[in-house]
Amino acid sequence: MSKEPRIDLLQGTLDLLILRTLQLGAAHGHAIAKAIQRTSDDVLLVEEGSLYPALHRLIKRGWITFDEGASENNRRAKFYRLTPKGRKQLVVETTKWEKLTRAIARVLRPA
Amino acid sequence: MTRRHPLDGLEREIRAHIERETEENVERGMTSAEARRLALIKFGNVALTREDTRAVWASRWLDQLRQDVRFAFRSYARTPVFTSVAVLTLALGIGANTAIFSILNGLLLRPLPVREPAQLVLVTDDEAAPRARVWNFPIWDQLRQTSQHFEAVAAWSFIRFNLSSGGETQLVEGLWATGSFFETLGVPAIVGRTFSDLDDQRGGGPDGPVAVISYGYWQRQYGGAADAIGRAVQLNTVPFTIVGVTPSDFFGPEVGRTFDFIVPLATERLIRPSDSAVDSCCTNFLSVIARLTTEQSLDSAVARLRTAQPEIREVTLRPWAAEAGQAAIDRYLESPFALVPAANGFSNLRLRYERPLLIVAVVVALVLLVACVNIASLFLARAVARRHELSVRLAVGGSRWRLTRQLLTESLLLSGVGAGIGLLFAGYGSAFLTRQLSTSTSTVFLDVSIDGRVLAFTVAVTGLTALLFGTAPALRAVRAGSTDALKEHGRATTEQAHGGLTDLLVVVQVTLSVVLVVAAGLFGRSFASLKYRELGFQPDQILVVYIDAQTVMVEPSQRVPLYERALDAVLELPGVTEAAISHVTPVGGGGFTPAVEITGDQRPGREASITLPANGEVFGNLISPRWFRTFGIPLVAGRHFTDRDRRGAQRVAIVNEMFARSFLGGDNPIGRIITLYPNTPRALSPIEIVGVVADAVYTSARDPVPPTWYLPIAQFDIPGFPFSATRLSVQATAGSPVLLTDRVETAIASVNPQLALTFRALPDQLHASLTQERLMAQLAGFFGSLALLLAGLGLYGVTAYTISRRRTEIAIRMALGAAPRAVMGRALARISLLIGVAIVVGAGISLWASRFAAGLIHGLTPRDPATLVGAALVLAVVGVLAGWLPARRATRIDPVAVLREG
Repeated sequence: MSKEPRIDLLQGTLDLLILRTLQLGAAHGHAIAKAIQRTSDDVLLVEEGSLYPALHRLIKRGWITFDEGASENNRRAKFYRLTPKGRKQLVVETTKWEKLTRAIARVLRPA
Repeated sequence: MTRRHPLDGLEREIRAHIERETEENVERGMTSAEARRLALIKFGNVALTREDTRAVWASRWLDQLRQDVRFAFRSYARTPVFTSVAVLTLALGIGANTAIFSILNGLLLRPLPVREPAQLVLVTDDEAAPRARVWNFPIWDQLRQTSQHFEAVAAWSFIRFNLSSGGETQLVEGLWATGSFFETLGVPAIVGRTFSDLDDQRGGGPDGPVAVISYGYWQRQYGGAADAIGRAVQLNTVPFTIVGVTPSDFFGPEVGRTFDFIVPLATERLIRPSDSAVDSCCTNFLSVIARLTTEQSLDSAVARLRTAQPEIREVTLRPWAAEAGQAAIDRYLESPFALVPAANGFSNLRLRYERPLLIVAVVVALVLLVACVNIASLFLARAVARRHELSVRLAVGGSRWRLTRQLLTESLLLSGVGAGIGLLFAGYGSAFLTRQLSTSTSTVFLDVSIDGRVLAFTVAVTGLTALLFGTAPALRAVRAGSTDALKEHGRATTEQAHGGLTDLLVVVQVTLSVVLVVAAGLFGRSFASLKYRELGFQPDQILVVYIDAQTVMVEPSQRVPLYERALDAVLELPGVTEAAISHVTPVGGGGFTPAVEITGDQRPGREASITLPANGEVFGNLISPRWFRTFGIPLVAGRHFTDRDRRGAQRVAIVNEMFARSFLGGDNPIGRIITLYPNTPRALSPIEIVGVVADAVYTSARDPVPPTWYLPIAQFDIPGFPFSATRLSVQATAGSPVLLTDRVETAIASVNPQLALTFRALPDQLHASLTQERLMAQLAGFFGSLALLLAGLGLYGVTAYTISRRRTEIAIRMALGAAPRAVMGRALARISLLIGVAIVVGAGISLWASRFAAGLIHGLTPRDPATLVGAALVLAVVGVLAGWLPARRATRIDPVAVLREG
């Protein structure tokens, strides 16, 4: 476990993280939560329950969709994956995010 | 696509998620309990997650609605004048409709607030005309004895009780009711008890005379205190004990009336010992209601009643029936009983006001329609102004349905807010209207509270209204909001294609307004013709005193002398010019119509005698000598009655001119002989006609003056005629006659303090007698003006809008040298044409609809041409004015400025 303090997720960034995770391929809910936690070196804390409303919001917007399938130990599960629209959105969101972080960085450490 | 909804299996998905986490924790070496605990902590609130996830989908529709509503509010806030005019118009329109409907609901639709009202039937004798038939006591007695056909039968009669023990009356509404009344209706007491056959005994039951009071009286008089039970109260000087209170929603057996006291029918003998209707063979005063058993049909009940009928009729034959002839007896025996459903109660008020109210309902519906048309044209103009916004929204992918929905939401919001305010109006309006129906002599009570039915009506009207004024503009706006609107530079140089619809709206609006203005004119003129009618007497200075001697211990034969002494005392008073007593007073209610025979024409070739039956076409009155002078009715020929025209002297009569015209062909009636009650043992004859007076209104200003005869009250000595009450008319020298009240009361009390007195100024009675016409005139006038105002506003709006859209065209014309007058003429020509068409159509509809007002219009024909022409003129003036104002502005356009804008 990491010794650094964990950071609560900013409003809306969870959507971006989900899109980013799904760019690597379809995954079920638990896997998405694990991936977000793992790739952020356990810094980002996702209260795993909040994942589900976010997933459904994304489905509603048409950015992701899901298929029913069997998981590793033959459990039935929903596998979420990006739609083409979601793929585009990921680019938009990423750009937006980078702009935001650059701007904040400039504010915090003026050149 | 039958794709599964993302929410399906959410439960399983969450469970699987937690299980996976638990498994991973176990793999890390935790105990299974610890592993599960941590997994749950990490997941967070399961229930909340489920809710939030569902909310994502549930809120979609709501979100859009909220969005639409918020957007609608914003767009209305941008046009506050338009919005407030529209909302106020709708509030008035919907409010008026709700108010009238709640009155109709109270009068026609609401079932009586009793147990199983559908089982109640009213005993009458004519199914075709279900009037409130009243029966005499012997018939009721027979019906009761043969009542095994029914589950129960009951009877009642309305009466006003006097709480004071002498002098000026303090009247309360009351009912005599049989002991079976409460059980038959299924009305319990909420405090104390009701009464039963045990109490309905001559002289009172074990508790003496008892009374049940209404909830309203209980609250008003006793503040709802429980100790009201057991209190003593004097009704017409007879002591009663209050034993119970009826439920708050029980207003009595008749819609339109209410009661304060209900007392057993048998106590009637205590209250009027020498004039008892219960003891009389032939006084019709009881309404009879029956409750059918659950398995009984109306037809079978009628059949059973008809089999009992011969016996009932036989037993109740009047003692003097033999003199009326066999034909009359047979008619009586064979006249059938009938039963009419009484679930909604029965009501004289209903008979009187049903048609006027339905007419008012149509009027307010038309006003709402005018309002809808008005708002529709405003919306249309607004929609065109918003075309740019709408086409942008369509262009960026907004769906047409979504946009239509947005626009309809806006309409619904407008009419919803209007309806909310309208409901407030309606509450006040219906209460105000029912108060207007009440007069000093009859209190009208109607339950007009807003119940489920009224609310459903209002919601339906609101929805319909929104659709009416919202649909066409919304569809048009969305259609017009196509891409070419984007290209168009927001301004038009030529008349738009939407002209057709706008024109239609203008025509509809003006047409409806014509109809409403005609209605207002008819009812207004009808009322005016009654109000300013030549009555034939001078009402202004007259105070009428109803003197009731029923509670005075005086022999009926000594009552007239008692009244005469009261009259003499009043004549002595300062400020009294004239005074007289009479059996009936003009427009005071009631009529006196015995059969009359005229004889004494000895000339050859003439009929020796004419008999006028007691059918209500010839009216009579019994008066004291100065009566005609008191009322200002001039003597035309012969002489007045004098104090010498008393019992024992030659019987004399005075007739009016109409009497002479109707029956004597205009011959001089003086010297002719009349007989009252001819061919009966109580025939009064010979009576010599000694004078002729001018015609004067008798029962009502609505009716033509009837042929009338007058007899000296002192000579009218038919045995058994009760004279239980009389009317003393006092003419004041100056000032309001009401100011005499105290002095007159003291003077009469000095003669006999027990006489019960009720004071009414004759002008007030006249006012009250025209309630219905006044109300119709006021309502029709109000709504007619409202329609006119709306039509004017609508026309103004449409013209102004059309002209503003054509500014460029007008500017070009003017730049090319068109005279301002010609420009204005063009603008006006079109609107004038539309108004002309509308007036013609409206006049046609008015002519057709006038048939429904027949019988409600007095003094003119419902197709009165002057009213029609007047209405057309009013509409023409309003229309042209509404068109001219904006058109004049058009001529002030500065062509250079306008064209530069382009």
